[in-house]
Amino acid sequence: MFKPRDIETYRRDEKLGHKLLTPEERIRLLKPYLPSPPLHPSEQANRRAMENEQRLGVRRLIKRHWHLLVFTIVHAIFSLYIRIRRAYHQVVNKISSVYLHHHRAPDLIYNDVKDLRRLPKHLSVILNLDEDARGGTGLAKLIEEASDIAAWCASARIPQLSIYEKTGTLKGYLPRVHRSMTQKLAAYFGPNTPGIGIRAPHCPSIETAQTLAASRIENDGLKHLSVMILSAEDGRDSIVDLTKTLADMSQRGKISTSDITIELVDAELSESVMGEPDLLLLFGPRVELVGYPPWQVRLTEISHVQDNEGVNYQVFYRGLLKYAGAQMRWGR
Amino acid sequence: MSDLYLSRIRNWFLSSPPAEWALKGLRETLIGALKQGPIPRHVAFVMDGNRRYARSHKIETIEGHHLGFEALARVLEICYKCGVEVVTVYAFSIENFNRPQYEVDGLMELAKVKLEQLIQHGEVLERYGASVRVLGERDLLSDDVLEVVDRAVSTTKNNKKCILNICFPYTSREEMTTAIRSTVEEYSKSSAPKSTPFSQTRITQKIMSKQGGKSEKSESGNSSSGQEPTHNPTESDDNEDSMSSTTTLYPDSPGRVSKHGSNNVTIYPNAENITAETIDKHLYTADCPPLDVFVRTSGVERLSDFMLWQCHQDTQMFFLECFWPEFGLWHFLPVLLEWQWRQKKKAMEERPRQRVKTA
Repeated sequence: MFKPRDIETYRRDEKLGHKLLTPEERIRLLKPYLPSPPLHPSEQANRRAMENEQRLGVRRLIKRHWHLLVFTIVHAIFSLYIRIRRAYHQVVNKISSVYLHHHRAPDLIYNDVKDLRRLPKHLSVILNLDEDARGGTGLAKLIEEASDIAAWCASARIPQLSIYEKTGTLKGYLPRVHRSMTQKLAAYFGPNTPGIGIRAPHCPSIETAQTLAASRIENDGLKHLSVMILSAEDGRDSIVDLTKTLADMSQRGKISTSDITIELVDAELSESVMGEPDLLLLFGPRVELVGYPPWQVRLTEISHVQDNEGVNYQVFYRGLLKYAGAQMRWGR
Repeated sequence: MSDLYLSRIRNWFLSSPPAEWALKGLRETLIGALKQGPIPRHVAFVMDGNRRYARSHKIETIEGHHLGFEALARVLEICYKCGVEVVTVYAFSIENFNRPQYEVDGLMELAKVKLEQLIQHGEVLERYGASVRVLGERDLLSDDVLEVVDRAVSTTKNNKKCILNICFPYTSREEMTTAIRSTVEEYSKSSAPKSTPFSQTRITQKIMSKQGGKSEKSESGNSSSGQEPTHNPTESDDNEDSMSSTTTLYPDSPGRVSKHGSNNVTIYPNAENITAETIDKHLYTADCPPLDVFVRTSGVERLSDFMLWQCHQDTQMFFLECFWPEFGLWHFLPVLLEWQWRQKKKAMEERPRQRVKTA
């Protein structure tokens, strides 16, 4: 885009600390690349400018039509490309889901993941309620998906799982979710079912009978899976609530504003909502955080599969692969 | 061997005048075509991968940063031509201070030099209405860099057409904490009494005196203990609660009355009025439109403490495999196209749903 000669001049100038060219020379260098400046209101009121506009009017009209034509063509090509990409991904995903099927066998799942360099300790997923589904089928589907994910986590020996669902529907049915998850785990594990504890922020947790569960596990599988259910109100709104409390305390003189530090906010939020997840799985076709708690997602690896629709095992597996291959540099 | 010759021939061909003219025309047409559709108002870039690019091309890492700056110039030109209003770039994180000292110094030098250049071209920026802002925790910068930063920001302060936000040094958590702190500060300042003919002190004292002798006792207790109402905790707390109950009938009115003496009544704004928008207004990006597109290069799929609050709802995030110095129109074009396509789909979905709702 920039002429190579100009790039060379610029780089030579830069190496000498910008002393080679004066500012005027630099502007002359840049001038052919600068876009046309926007008209000032004073210039627009100028009659000569209006006359120019009328003369160039035809040219501008043709240009605009030409651009519209190119726009339509480019978008047509793009939507064709998207359709082809989606079809291709659907075929590939179907094939890999057959190949990578979990067969409800925790040992198979654990086999898949045990060679990975590292596993997340806290996995998080975003689920979407199907709003077009009639009656209670949307909720039933959500609970089914959540139970599947919990079963896979338990098989892969990931001790903590958090499920974010924007509308909060899942939060209102915690006992039902717990029952469904226990059933699914029993179907997967048989007698060695790990215990499940489900909670939501500011709600008491529901646990399975711990003593029975713990005594039954013979090998070194996961003993307990803790599941946290989140909704939109645990995102920005909980930060707003924290601000309200802090403002209240400051008005009463209990704290001063210099006491509000990152550590304080972090401690409060991890205490009342949840800690930071290591990996966030998205089951939709694109990456959009639909209200996921902003504070906790700081260093979370975000994984999605392009053009994927729905919850299936191979998105889970690919997410774990991506997490194992990711390099954390911590700013260095 | 043949690859080397082929790339040289290709470069020679591409730099010849007809090819250049054709490419230029193609770029102009594509950008003009994109402008016919919806354009994101606020785009954020994480300029990642400079050092890896330098290593893979066997040049110095600081050279990689210089090439990254050139890529930034290219991207800014494209965004300006497309009509993007605000561009936010992640130049330097507070965590990056952990890097080796010579690298940090090199980056600071780069920033100083480029900002100096910007100041020198002040009237060009003014003609295009472009303003530059530097967001982040200024206390961590050394004085000479800070001085250049301040000058650059104040020179371009009045340009309103488009804004470049350079996040330097920036961490999103620090931004959110600062926003919380300034919100709390704002709500802890007693609101200036409005000049109405009715004196608020007289009204509150009238209400207080109506509540009987209990108020007088706690009033004397408060004024003797000074700031902290530790004596008669139950009575004074009851008093404060009843005070707030009478005044919270009108949620917008000042909610808390605190007595610091028998004459002064300081009224605090009601903390219940704090919403997400309040915190939004205290962020560094307060007057910018909501974030539409988030682009991160070099294949890393994390947010890394950048714009956590801003990209939490509708922002579409793109993680690209290329390194930042390679980023140009041909990488940005699919991003914009996909965003435009998604916006069209959203608009189409809204229309049938509205029709169903009204039917």
